[in-house]
Amino acid sequence: MKCAVLVCSGLDKPLGSLAREVAVCAAEQAECEIVCPVLLNNSPGRYEATLKELPLAVVDGCGTRCATKLATQMGLKIGRRMLLPEAIKELGETFEDSLRPGPEARALALKLALQLTADEAEEEAAETEAVTFPEPADFLKVTHDKFVFPIPVEGYFFNENDCWVQVVGGRARVGITDYMQQTLTDITYFAPPEVGREVEQFDDLGAVESAKAVFDVISPVGGKIVAVNAALEDTPELINEGPYTGGWLVELELTDFEADRELLLTGEQYAVKVKQKAEEASA
Amino acid sequence: MSDATFMGVSREKIDWAPTIDYSKCDFCMECDDFCPHKVFERREGEVKLVVANPKNCVVFCRACAKTCGPDALTFPSKPETIAAIKQIRAKEGEAE
Repeated sequence: MKCAVLVCSGLDKPLGSLAREVAVCAAEQAECEIVCPVLLNNSPGRYEATLKELPLAVVDGCGTRCATKLATQMGLKIGRRMLLPEAIKELGETFEDSLRPGPEARALALKLALQLTADEAEEEAAETEAVTFPEPADFLKVTHDKFVFPIPVEGYFFNENDCWVQVVGGRARVGITDYMQQTLTDITYFAPPEVGREVEQFDDLGAVESAKAVFDVISPVGGKIVAVNAALEDTPELINEGPYTGGWLVELELTDFEADRELLLTGEQYAVKVKQKAEEASA
Repeated sequence: MSDATFMGVSREKIDWAPTIDYSKCDFCMECDDFCPHKVFERREGEVKLVVANPKNCVVFCRACAKTCGPDALTFPSKPETIAAIKQIRAKEGEAE
């Protein structure tokens, strides 16, 4: 996939050098356009045409995520994103810590670039049967100052990490609660987990990012990830608009919901927690 | 915060908080800037950052570690923490 690649420019860090190498490989292999973060910061106009034409891929060298933060500050829409230490781990590779990429680092950069620019994988044929998740009918409403936090009751369960699960048969849909989306404010990105991965209850299911914070999605249930909400790639704001409906994040095939259920809250129980959290936050 | 609970268990009894590896930490303070729960505190002197309020840490949240460039933050094992919480719940359930 041809894209504009905005990379970390950690010139004093080996992963910064690797990030640059990834960009060069992406330019060579997929005709991507490299976006220099320094120039973008100083003269955004220089990349205006490129960024209008091509989707943006961001490569961060480390958890400081300078490239992502810059993209967010500039109001750019991030199409895909790679955090090098995570991506290297996923490939089962290691990285030689050197500012000057050697042959191995260059080979690694090529692999990373191919992954970054790979065309969208076909939806896994895991969709055994279509499951319809009904829209919530009744909401409890927790109010605090001028804020209202709706909480669906029927068919939804919650963990104390502000994530919900809706269960239909052996399938589950997971998302973040209205309270959490309001706490995060404008959501700019959902970093989805990998489809096909098995997770245990309370494992991460990716992260939701806003200008204000990064929120780890903590799975209320254990199971196999069978789908992620593809609509969020272009419109992450769906999470703000409908956290319990169009802004769902992940679907799983449940392993043992009865066991997971023991550590979950009902809507009524979660409402008590939200009230406490809102009071503590404003105390 | 002394009456805080997580899954019905007193937060005081749950061992979940980051540990700073001072051989890696460069005191960039990204984690402290990030964490809204005031888990970290800055200090004068050689060690400029400490985990001052471990019980403020949101159980199972590891988001600060993702902001850490030098990868200096670690957390306890999730499965072990879940097992410990379940054990406390079972024990307190019996006591009631």
